[in-house]
Amino acid sequence: MKESDPLRKAGSTNTDLVLGLIVLGVSLAIAFIWIPLDVETGVFEKVRRRIEIGDAFAPAFAATLLGLGGLLLVVEALRSTSLTRLSGSSFFFAGGLLLAFIVFFALLRWTGPVSVGLFGQEGMEYRLLRDTVPWKYTGFVLGGSALVSGLIVFVERQLTIRAIAIGVIATLVLILIYDLPFDDLLLPPNGDF
Amino acid sequence: MGVTEHILLGVQAVFAGPEALSVFGFSLSITIVMVACGFLLGIIVGGTPGLAGPMAMAISLPILISAFGYTPDALLPVLGFLIGIMKGATIGGAVPAILFNTPGTPDAYMTTLDGYPMTQKGEAARALRVAHFSSASGDTFSDIVLIVCAPFLAILVEAYLDLPEKTSLLILSMAFIAAVVGGSPAKGLISAALGLLAAYIGTGEDFTPRLTLGNQGLASGFSIAAVVLGVLILGEVFKSIEDLWQEGRGNQTQATKIEQKPGRLDGQTIRRIFPFIARSAVIGTAIGALPGIGSTLAATLGYTSGKMRYEKTHQDGEQRFGDGIPEGIAATEAANSSVSGANLIPVLSLGVPGNAAAVFLILAADSIGGFNPGPSVFRMPSEGINPELVIAFGLFTMMMLANLMNWTVGGVFMRSMGIMTRIPKHRLLPIILLLTLTAIYIQETKLAAIWIAIGFGFLGYFMRRLAISPLPFIIAFILGGRLEDTARQAFSATGGDPWFLFSSVTSIVFLIMSVGVVVMLSLRGRDAAT
Repeated sequence: MKESDPLRKAGSTNTDLVLGLIVLGVSLAIAFIWIPLDVETGVFEKVRRRIEIGDAFAPAFAATLLGLGGLLLVVEALRSTSLTRLSGSSFFFAGGLLLAFIVFFALLRWTGPVSVGLFGQEGMEYRLLRDTVPWKYTGFVLGGSALVSGLIVFVERQLTIRAIAIGVIATLVLILIYDLPFDDLLLPPNGDF
Repeated sequence: MGVTEHILLGVQAVFAGPEALSVFGFSLSITIVMVACGFLLGIIVGGTPGLAGPMAMAISLPILISAFGYTPDALLPVLGFLIGIMKGATIGGAVPAILFNTPGTPDAYMTTLDGYPMTQKGEAARALRVAHFSSASGDTFSDIVLIVCAPFLAILVEAYLDLPEKTSLLILSMAFIAAVVGGSPAKGLISAALGLLAAYIGTGEDFTPRLTLGNQGLASGFSIAAVVLGVLILGEVFKSIEDLWQEGRGNQTQATKIEQKPGRLDGQTIRRIFPFIARSAVIGTAIGALPGIGSTLAATLGYTSGKMRYEKTHQDGEQRFGDGIPEGIAATEAANSSVSGANLIPVLSLGVPGNAAAVFLILAADSIGGFNPGPSVFRMPSEGINPELVIAFGLFTMMMLANLMNWTVGGVFMRSMGIMTRIPKHRLLPIILLLTLTAIYIQETKLAAIWIAIGFGFLGYFMRRLAISPLPFIIAFILGGRLEDTARQAFSATGGDPWFLFSSVTSIVFLIMSVGVVVMLSLRGRDAAT
């Protein structure tokens, strides 16, 4: 697996060295900035004349471990010829995926309220219809289908009826699994209303 | 009550629970039915490339909890279903590996080396029977070792280890996992440290929650489901989708057109493969008992060891490992299947999850309540019963039950799973993604939990891209709270001694071993460590 892993290809930048230095810097920032500013008690504290472990003890231990890991990675990277390499396409992919999630969330969150506003009875709010068919499914079906179909289209690099159909069917099957048999379960986003 | 009564109560809890259905006048309890359903689902999941046992466990958990509720009666059916998935997935992975040269699970990769050549020779049916026999043998052996060893190890831990030693043992467990998982001990350490940090956000004993950056949403810490599902499942799904996108499209597996002979497992073949099964079962069980080392390494070692033995005992000119011989399949399948039972040894004796499947068992026990895996489970009460011990024996009963299913219906069901390979991975993964997000929302009922899970999903994705194993992160996240609590208690028990970790020889030995395992493996270099 290791040989075929694109991360293991030798590159001009020693990613592990950079990663080790970043981790080392982050661990120092956690230990000397974040923990002192965001934890009320110290590493040890005096409670009723007894010394006890404070809330900063465990995070300080974790930060120390992180720093040691970073230091060890720097040493490993300097000794090793096998380099990890993070390509720009990973960031491009992650950005695209994040965008897909934003669209998914927008559809999930707002389709229900908007459709009630447009097609529901006057003065009716989505909050009152969040457990009523068909309103309770609108956001989930549209948002879920868009996410599933969108990702299939992204990988296949072409828009097909099949991709859209898979998205719609997948969300309907999820409704069958999670919603129809259980009265006490709420599909997204209905618990937030 | 003594041990025998606890064992009987455990067995009774499985067989005499609420009736689910009746077959030919025999009443089948809900727990038995759940083990069977989980087992069959596990085979389907294992036989589907791109899916894995932990994914199915993650998705099933909220449905199971909704169906059975948060009562102690829910524990055995829910855990039984999850154990069934865990066991079924180990045998299912061999099917696409043998029929289509595509491992259903990563640990079945070595099965392709001899399995697919056998299919090309028209011996697919025989190869599948060898895989099933070896897998079931290894799994049964591993379960027996678990049942014998876990209680004794737990009793030893309870009898001889005090709070400082238990703290050091937790540190040793995490150091060991960090050092051996993945190729770099340094990256393992970083992963574990990040897991600890995530566990400490929003928690603590002071009135003001720590490390929240003033965000009230973080005041009660991260939800365990959002973190575990995010890093383990979403991170893997993101990476796999990107891999498919980079490839242009999912690799479509072509069905083999080779005419297949009917195959059966005769006594001669069993005698041939048995030494390889025995050797690999021991290797897999030993590896499984160590937390953090997965079944993929067990399969690799089992195959390599079997190959060495085969080459010593066979003359030149004969068929070798890789040419399509049953010994190659047996050595791999016995090794990777014997990890699953033994992996529960650290869970039940130390409370340390050894792999992703064990993480979900702990998550289920934690969500339902009434069972805290760890050495206290095997504490024998002076009077009355220890309900956790009854559950533990119920767990062992369910594992043996799943084994029985494996030996009887497992082979037939497994051999019919070739069809699952035809499901295109690039269409399946987005559905898994939506399924996981829905499962998280069902448990947490707030959209913020989905965002947190997605955030941890990206963390898991970048960790994988940087060759950092996410398993130490998850295990440290789960153990972080317990590590802090044990350290606080040990500190108080030693009268506020800041050197409490160095208060006994055992504790010092554990700490030296913790440093030693990381430094030694690091010095050996990342390539040697894999």
